[in-house]
Formats: sequence, C-alpha cells, structure tokens
Amino acid sequence: MTEETQKNDPAPIATDSTQRSEPEVAPTSTPAPVASERQNWLKTRVDKWRESGIISGDQSDAILNYEAAPEEPFRLGLRFNRLIVVLATLGAILIGAGIISFVVANWQGIPSIAKLALLIGGQIATYGVAYQIQFVRGYPRIGGAIMSTGALWFGANVFLVAQSYHFTTDNPDLLIWWFLGILPLAYIVRSQSITVMAVVIFTVGLAWKAATWSDEIESFFPVVGILLLSAAVIYAIGMFHLVREKIKFHAGPYLASGALLAIGVTYFLTFEEMFRDSSRAITGFQVPTGSQIIPIAIVTIIAAIALGMTYRLSSHVHQKSVPRFAETAVVVLVVVLGWVLITLPFNSTGFYVVAFNLLLVLLIFGTITLGIVNKREALVNIGIIFFVIDLATRYIELTVDMLDTSLAFIIGGLLLLGVGYGMERARRKLLTQFGLRESSHDT
Amino acid sequence: MTPRLKRLFIAVIVIQVVFLLGLVGYRESILIGGRTAVLKTVPVDPRDLFKGEYVTLRYEISTIDRSPNTAIGKRHRLQGGFSEGDTVYVGLHLPGADQFEVQFAQTGKPANNADLFIKGRVISKVGETITVEYGIEQYFIPEGRGLEIEQADDVKVRVKINRSGTAAIETLIVDGEDWRP
Repeated sequence: MTEETQKNDPAPIATDSTQRSEPEVAPTSTPAPVASERQNWLKTRVDKWRESGIISGDQSDAILNYEAAPEEPFRLGLRFNRLIVVLATLGAILIGAGIISFVVANWQGIPSIAKLALLIGGQIATYGVAYQIQFVRGYPRIGGAIMSTGALWFGANVFLVAQSYHFTTDNPDLLIWWFLGILPLAYIVRSQSITVMAVVIFTVGLAWKAATWSDEIESFFPVVGILLLSAAVIYAIGMFHLVREKIKFHAGPYLASGALLAIGVTYFLTFEEMFRDSSRAITGFQVPTGSQIIPIAIVTIIAAIALGMTYRLSSHVHQKSVPRFAETAVVVLVVVLGWVLITLPFNSTGFYVVAFNLLLVLLIFGTITLGIVNKREALVNIGIIFFVIDLATRYIELTVDMLDTSLAFIIGGLLLLGVGYGMERARRKLLTQFGLRESSHDT
Repeated sequence: MTPRLKRLFIAVIVIQVVFLLGLVGYRESILIGGRTAVLKTVPVDPRDLFKGEYVTLRYEISTIDRSPNTAIGKRHRLQGGFSEGDTVYVGLHLPGADQFEVQFAQTGKPANNADLFIKGRVISKVGETITVEYGIEQYFIPEGRGLEIEQADDVKVRVKINRSGTAAIETLIVDGEDWRP
C-alpha cells in the first residue's frame, strides 16, 4: 500500500487535487473557455495590484494563468467524481441485491447453513473487494461505494436472519443494531456516505422506537418531541466533530442531518391544526411514563455532554465567541422546546404555535448563517429550501381567505418564481464566494 | 490505511459477523433448549414488498382481560398496574388437551422457575384489557402459500420459550398437522 493511496479520502471541495492519486479522473490543463465571474473579479484586483506596483506584469500574468487553468477541469472533475460514485454504488447495490434476492427466492430450497454462509460470505467478500480497490489499488470512489454496499449488506443480513427465525422484523432494535455495526466502520475507512447512512438509520430507529411506545394517537407529541431532541443531539455531535481535527471530516453529515430534522419537524409544528385538531386536544395527551422518560433523559444528557465538550474544545480552535454562544444557545433552545413538546405544560395552543413559528425562523436563518460562516453548502441549501417552503406556506395561509383562488394562485406563482430566482442568484453568489475562499485557502 | 486502522477494520468486520452468528446461535438455543407451548392463533396474510410474504399471528394470549366481572377476567391473575410500553411476564398453563392459556400476568420476572412464562410488551391498554406483543407475531412463508394458512379452520403455533421468557416460533400447526413450508 503506497503513501499516496493512504491519502485518498473522498474529501470535500477544498481538496488539493495535485496531492492526490485520482486514477478515475484524467487531469487536464486546458484553460477555461469562458471567463467566470470569479475570474473577472480576480482580474480587476490583480490589475489594481499591478498598477499600484505591488506585483509586476509577469507576476500578474502568472497569477491569472494559474487561477484560470484549474477552474473548469476542477468542476468537470467533481462532476465525474459524482458520476463515478453514483455508477459504482448502483452497480455494487445491484450485485448485492441480486445475491440477496437469489437467497430469498430459494429460501426453502437452501439449507440453513448454506443460507447463512452465502449471506455472511457475501458480506465479507464485499468488504474484502472494497478494501482492495480503495486502499490497495487506490480507487477511493469505487472502493468507497463498494464499502457502503458492505454496510448495506450487513443491515440486510440483520433483517434476513430475523426473518429466517420468524421474529418480528417490524422492530426498531434491528435498525439500532445495524447502526451500531456500521458506525465504527465509517470512521475507520473515513467514509462520509457510511456516516450519512448510520445517522439516517439511527434517526429512523430512534423515531420508530419512540413510536412503538404506544399505538395510540396520544403518543404523537412525545414522538415528535424525541425527534426534536434527536435532531439537537445529532447536530451537537456534528459540532463536536468540527472542533476535533481528527474527526472533522465526518462533521458534515451530522450537521446537515441534525439541521434538516430540526427544521423539518419544527415546520410541521408551525400549524395550529397540529395542536387544535379535535382528535389531538392538548389536554387529552398523556404525560410520558417512567419508561419513556428514561430514553428521553439519555438523549438530553448526550446532547448536553456533546455541547459541553464542544464548548470547552472550541476555545482551543480559536472559534469566535459570538458564533460559539449563538450556535450552542440555539441547540439548547431546541432541546428545551423538545421537552416542552413532550410534557405539554401549557393548555393554550397559541403558545405552541407562536413558539414553533419563531423557532422555525430562527433555525432557517441560523442554518443559512452558519452555513456561510462554516462554508457548508448543504446547510445553506437546507436553510434556503425551507425558507422558500415557509414563505409559500404563509402566503397560502394568508391569501386563502382573502383573495379569489385563481388570483391567489397567479400572484403566488409569480411571487414564488421571483423569490426562487432571487434565492438561486443569492445562493450561487454565496457558493461562488465559498469556492474563492476555499481555493485561496488550499493553494 | 495504517496497520492499526487495518486491524480495526478487520475487527469491525469480525464483530459484525460474530453479532450475526450470535443472533443465529441465540435463536437456535431457544429452539433446542426451550420449553414447548402450543398457542391458539388467528392468522392474517399481509404481503410486504420488501419482506416477501408472511402471516401476521394474533394469539389468544395477546389480549389479557383483567376485569373480575368477565369469565376470562376471573381466570387471569394480574399483578400490578400496566402501562403501554411496559415489559410483562405472562404465565401459561395447560388446562385442556393441547393449548396453553394465560394463568397470570405481572411486570416483574416470576421467581418460580417451575412456572412456564413468556415475556412480552404491553402495546395498548383499553379499560381493563391489555394487548401484549411477544415478538412472535410474524411467520415468513414461501410466496403464494399465505391463503392455505389463512383459510384453515384451526391454526396453532408451537413455540419454544427459554428461561428468561423469550419465545421463538418452532412451527405452525394447521388443522392438526405440522405445516411444511
């Protein structure tokens, strides 16, 4: 195994491609055919520096040539990388699904030992092939995709073993076992896609677990409450990753999943109907029992520990105190409102509707701001998407009784198009700025 | 990948495999060493796109009535209050020829090892009646065979139960005979 292959992490945009072995993407030095907005900006600045005598004419040309060359190939390379990952993942999943469906289709005809050997052997072989391709031969993307398929295969095996012994597969514990099995793998092979898989499985498993507390509708708010707490925990764990250099690479999936879950859940709680619905009268809801409070308390304690450690470590990485306080405060607020939802201390629906509408606005703008500050494209996109969704929702709520339906639709459509256009422009501008900062930082 | 990470990578795969084998071993140990009980059931035949075909089994012991005014309630000896989500231990006895009935239900594990009991979870409570799930409510079958179980007059399930009350399905008994998949 070469030193070069050890560096082949599926890294974010900020990767310096010259230091890496990337056999899937052929390097090219063709200059950009069309000068981008970024290059125009750079040219203006460089001209000014040359006129002021800071740099010479030769240096100015050298800077412009250097910056012009990687732009398009870099982006083209990114697109190819994504295509490679998509194709390799689909291919690996198809092979795995083929083997598993063969076993399932011939379930009764294959002896138990042979079934088990096929399923577990297939899983080990997948990991072996992934290791060879990713770390020995140095194809990180294809190898990474096959590694993710191995993690999927483990989950399929958990469910197939459960099925073969006829124990209930409608069981959130199976998801939690799957999550525990693949989480360490994500860190060992430095795979963001396995991290995403693990975080999603954990969230679904936890929500499912909460939902199995009771079949009754009265459990609706405790279930939604624990989802909100889970969102805070996932985000807080992401924050902790950001301040630890060794695991910083995995922060993105936690932050994006936590933000998405928190904003998504909060959005549904902004409607008065959620609290006013006759079948869900607030006074009719159950207060959680002892067995329900324990997991809720555990989730809260994990959030508190993650936040506390993040806050303590953030001083070592010279984070500014305002974002430090603000981000922590918002996560704490989400935890508090999660508990409010679980315990429902107020009988007035108005309090809840106002509180969750304010929280939604705070989360949307907070996510966009943090996305910009921390240069995280996913956070900016999540914030902007929910901003547009919330705006459209409020518009419909406001106009549904005031305007003629057709007029409301036309004005709404025009407004949405206008807002969408403006947001897309703003988003692109922001992301271009990210690209500039990241490029200048890395090169 | 450094040698240390390589060792950890192998360790994670070994743990995953050991976990799967452990799951198999645990269920096999119940089937081999567990005590046998035959339970009356009413099957329905759902089909799931991802899970294939299976019958959902609803047992007579799934519903436990604690009302002292009903005939069944008088037979059930319940101890303590039950809430949704609680773990419950249901004692079984054999009053008739072949099928077991609820003798008692309690939240604490029975101290007497001679009692045959099955562990479940309260999933709903309506008035004096609780509904319990035992983790043996699904039976996976080959595609297209669901109807012959659903349309049978008499369906029972032979289960094995270990000392801690965990149950595993051994086989279905359809119209008096062991059902062969």
